[in-house]
Amino acid sequence: MPKRRVKILLFIFLGVLIIGILVLWRCSEELSGLGLTVPIGYLEYLHVSIFVMSLTIVYLITYSCMEVDSPSLIMTMRIAESGKEGLTKKKFDELLSDDILVKPRVKNLVHDNLVYMEGEKYQITPKGKRMTLIFIFYRWLLNITRKGG
Amino acid sequence: MLSYSLLQLFNPFICFIINVLIQVVSYRIISRLGLLKSELLGFAAGVLGVLLIEAFYFLDFQISLADSLSILVVNLVIYSSLGYCYYNFINLGVTARRIRILREIYYSKKGLSLEEIIERYNAKDIVEMRINRLVNSGQVVYKEEKYYIGKPIVLIIAKIIVTMKLIVLGKKSEQV
Repeated sequence: MPKRRVKILLFIFLGVLIIGILVLWRCSEELSGLGLTVPIGYLEYLHVSIFVMSLTIVYLITYSCMEVDSPSLIMTMRIAESGKEGLTKKKFDELLSDDILVKPRVKNLVHDNLVYMEGEKYQITPKGKRMTLIFIFYRWLLNITRKGG
Repeated sequence: MLSYSLLQLFNPFICFIINVLIQVVSYRIISRLGLLKSELLGFAAGVLGVLLIEAFYFLDFQISLADSLSILVVNLVIYSSLGYCYYNFINLGVTARRIRILREIYYSKKGLSLEEIIERYNAKDIVEMRINRLVNSGQVVYKEEKYYIGKPIVLIIAKIIVTMKLIVLGKKSEQV
């Protein structure tokens, strides 16, 4: 699997959109002859592009969410697997440790160039700072005070 | 040929702005309104906006019903996509582990070692926040010191996501 999967997926979808638009534009007469409705005018092409890109972004967001295991969903599945016996808190804590929930996320941040290692410490990159400030601003806007995570 | 105007083209984006404004204002002003309900309220307001703008064009400019419905469907899809993006954006700021870790490192000024990160934010915190949420919403029941499934909504969502992971990623979990 390639490393920057989401970026590659974005390029694939963009590429398909551009090729699709070119085909529709160049072959509009032939396609109309087959009984298909083709866009006419730049506004319609723009609308088609916005439509395709919006669905692309939805897919990319969903894909990114799927790549990572959600703790809530893992917890629910483990409890369901325990069936009528139920799951004790101790077993629960054993199943969900820092090695599973925290360390992989720190690795992701390094991989995505949001933080870097300087000696023993993780430092934030300019890209990471920009992203963090967006969320800090929005949390302030919504007056969210709980730490979250 | 579809009848078009720039306002119809930007309809989803205008209504998305309405969505964001309603969500932010309602969440800040109505103290009893939870985050999810404010997001639904904002989204509903935006849907109403999309419908009203299209209705205005249909009635005022006498566009054909077929054209109007076609543009409406496309705009609702675009608007819903924007709404989905916004929902995920808010969710990231509130529940995403990476964003929490980033904020901890950002506020530390001198950086944090892995041990320091875990000291501030660890599996115990993550599990506690989520299990409280699941128990409070009735998705999980805590009885005689054990956890059981309560309402199965989150479980159903979990199973759907696992199935989607298998189809799209070829594996059930990132641990595999």
